[in-house]
Amino acid sequence: MSGARRWRIARVPAALVAGLLLCALLTPILPLPDPVKQEIANRLATPSAEHWLGTDEYGRDNLSRILWGARVSLSVALAASAIAALIGTTLGLLGGYFRGLVELLTVRASEVVLCLPPLLLALLVVTLLGPGATTLTLALSILFAPAFARLAYGETLSARELDYVAAQHALGAGSPRILIRTILPNIASPLIVQFSLTVASAMVLESGLSFLGLGVVPPSPSWGLMIRGARASMEMAPLQLVWPCLALTGTVLLLNQLCDRLRDVLDPRGQYGAMAGRSRRPATQSNPARSTDSPKASDTHEPLLAVQGLTLRAGGDAPDALELVREVSFDVQAGETLAVVGESGSGKTLTVLSVMGLLPDAVKPVGGSIRLRDRDGATYDLLSCSEESIRSLRGREIAMIFQDPASSLNPLLRIGEQVAESLTAHGLREGVRPRVLSLLKAVGLPDPEQQIDAFPHQLSGGQRQRVMIAAAIANDPSLLLADEPTTALDVTVQAQILELLNRLRASHRGMSMIFVTHNLAVVNEIADRVCVMYAGEVVEVGPVSAVFKDPRHPYTAALIRSTPEGEMERLNTISGTVPQPDAMPSGCRFAARCDQAKSSCASGGSPELLEVRPGRLSRCPVINQEFA
Amino acid sequence: MLAFVARRLAIALTLVWVVASLVFVVIHLIPGDPAELLLSQGGVAPDPGAIAELRERLGLDRPLLEQYLSYLASILQGDFGLSLLDGHPIAEEIALRLPRTLELIAAAGLLSVLIGLPLGVLAARRAGGLTDRILSAWAGFALSIPVFVVGTLMVLILAQQLRWVPAGGFVAFSENPVRHLTLLMLPASTIAVGLSAVIFRIARSSILEVLSRDHVRAARARGLEPRRILARHVVRNALSPVITVLALHLGSLLGGTVLVEYVFNWPGLSGYLVTAVEARDYPEVVGIVLVISALFVLLNFIVDVLYGVLDPRVRQS
Repeated sequence: MSGARRWRIARVPAALVAGLLLCALLTPILPLPDPVKQEIANRLATPSAEHWLGTDEYGRDNLSRILWGARVSLSVALAASAIAALIGTTLGLLGGYFRGLVELLTVRASEVVLCLPPLLLALLVVTLLGPGATTLTLALSILFAPAFARLAYGETLSARELDYVAAQHALGAGSPRILIRTILPNIASPLIVQFSLTVASAMVLESGLSFLGLGVVPPSPSWGLMIRGARASMEMAPLQLVWPCLALTGTVLLLNQLCDRLRDVLDPRGQYGAMAGRSRRPATQSNPARSTDSPKASDTHEPLLAVQGLTLRAGGDAPDALELVREVSFDVQAGETLAVVGESGSGKTLTVLSVMGLLPDAVKPVGGSIRLRDRDGATYDLLSCSEESIRSLRGREIAMIFQDPASSLNPLLRIGEQVAESLTAHGLREGVRPRVLSLLKAVGLPDPEQQIDAFPHQLSGGQRQRVMIAAAIANDPSLLLADEPTTALDVTVQAQILELLNRLRASHRGMSMIFVTHNLAVVNEIADRVCVMYAGEVVEVGPVSAVFKDPRHPYTAALIRSTPEGEMERLNTISGTVPQPDAMPSGCRFAARCDQAKSSCASGGSPELLEVRPGRLSRCPVINQEFA
Repeated sequence: MLAFVARRLAIALTLVWVVASLVFVVIHLIPGDPAELLLSQGGVAPDPGAIAELRERLGLDRPLLEQYLSYLASILQGDFGLSLLDGHPIAEEIALRLPRTLELIAAAGLLSVLIGLPLGVLAARRAGGLTDRILSAWAGFALSIPVFVVGTLMVLILAQQLRWVPAGGFVAFSENPVRHLTLLMLPASTIAVGLSAVIFRIARSSILEVLSRDHVRAARARGLEPRRILARHVVRNALSPVITVLALHLGSLLGGTVLVEYVFNWPGLSGYLVTAVEARDYPEVVGIVLVISALFVLLNFIVDVLYGVLDPRVRQS
């Protein structure tokens, strides 16, 4: 979002707050009756031309008292917030910049205030100094200063680590200069948000104390005092209560709204996007997409999984939707391992997630099909079947292991319970624990009787990935999707996990695997066939040995050259980066980085994926010219 | 786990000591003689004889260190001295009123969690949808009404206009349980209006955050039913921030029930505090402040321990 557009959302509350402040400022010059002038004969009058909101229990004009009250409330709240911000920020800046003893004397000392409930502290100050607007301002400043100190302290700590602050220090800039010129502007945004929050809280506390008769001293008008007064006469004149309550609530609501908007604009880190969470499938399709028309589908030639023309978009059908994956097709035979290879951003992970039906909310399939044959020979289209039927396939027919085993295990559940879930989710009720134990044994977890009750944080990275694998293979799935399962692990552990996966493949006869990686060396060790992806498209498919010996796409060739191997001295990197989905070039998407590109490569649509030799597919018309 | 609890307890006790010392320092650092300050009501210069007498009664004529030590010793024994106004032992009055305040806070907290948490889960599950937007707008509004406004309006509407419930007061549970609970409901729901909105907001954002975590995706990959994922992998993981926020708010309610107790004539600790502040009965104020701060610290201690129970990782660090 551009800066101007971001600010737009704060416009309405900001304008209203400005209007309120203006009203309060202009009150003395408005033609209003004296807010403290009593007119006992005309007490508790209903609204009239003379008194728009009527009069109170002493015959004073309500409208005038509300506007004058706004002045009192706002000035106490603003003054207290300003003092708190000034003191707190100074303390926090000093503490965060100098650390050590200074930190103890500033930030830590001020935090003692937080050991007392806020209203209590305010009452303590009032006891010692007596009620009144000045005492109130002082009490509120003390109350809110630690929050500013804490905030400034934390922000200063992170700001002083920034390169340019360190650079200024190295250049010999003095501390006060760095503090004021460099760090302060950096932490301004969260401080502004905190300030608006403080004004609202100060207002609530001020009116609360005034309501108790311990804040603003009568006859000064204050909303808290007005509610206090109206409460006494509410049986006779309930409307009296409404005006100050409305004024107070409306103002606080306005300030809170402004604060929320400011937070969205200035501190986007605090937001949780709607991107988070589950994918939503049409729940209407309750009929399982089991196609009974092809009982012969279990023929050996029919692939286990067939992805056809899969296209994924972020933003759905909107005109600014981004195409992340285009026309991806591949299949996986029973017992086969297919490696999906490509740089970050090539769409590999999204492709396998769509097989699982676990795409992020924002990404939607807009074309193609994913057909899976289950062990009984029935086929499902995973893109169109209901959430319930794909759920029953997940973990039973198709299982998945993820890149980071540390975050993929729930830290609060014992590992045995998490492996057991795979079993119980698909109907196993008895003998769960022995089965979990044998699974943990099968994946080579040391001392499974002990470890079954361990929490994830008590295991090493490699052990956690073994647990993830145990949970994945629990129901003997026919297809295992492995999304960079070794990337987050140490090199020595990587080899062990690969070995485990190879062993499982051999022992679980018929288990197919899709292995996503950016590491070609791994492909050689584990896969039968390889599917190379680039910028959301499949660029080459073929048997691993053939592709490695004779790549039929310049991107594959470049990938192979960039893989560190044996004694090779020099590593060739591929210059340039993968094009972003919002800036896809016309013609071949790899052309800009290709050393064999011709002028014709960069025009027209993307070249088609063609079978250039038996069992070999490629998208490059240039190096496959003789076959085209 | 034991070492963890012991360490937290040590921190908590240190904090209580710091607060007690702070209160002592503040009272003695205030410019002017506390006795004189206390007796100078309404701008009239107090009688020197009365000041001397009060100084002696409060032990203000002794050396500061001696005063400090005897102050610490007596609060360790739970002795907060006698009220300046009527000479009653302060500790007794606190013991009588504190349970009423705690009961009110507990009822309000329970009510808020019962309302806020399920609504937070609901809104997070339908994030961005109509339900979510309505609930979020409601929460924004509920958070902006000061608690004494809610209370006063409740009295006005439910008690004065509709005459459904009594306007306030207190009847001991042993005397009439039904009446006691009826009288408890109004102040408790007054607090719950704002507090449930707080719980709702934090529960919603916490659940949204957990929903996007990898382990939830992994649980879905195992084929778990959505309801089981929510129960086992989301809500429990999202509870820590909810508990922290709830505890913080319950803590500030320890002093913050003042307004509600005042509106509904609930004879709790906070109402006692207001009377003490109005009368500037400073031994009373000190006693109440100390008890409330100690409870506040205790509450934070309980939260820390609860964290340890909920999250095995915390126990070890």
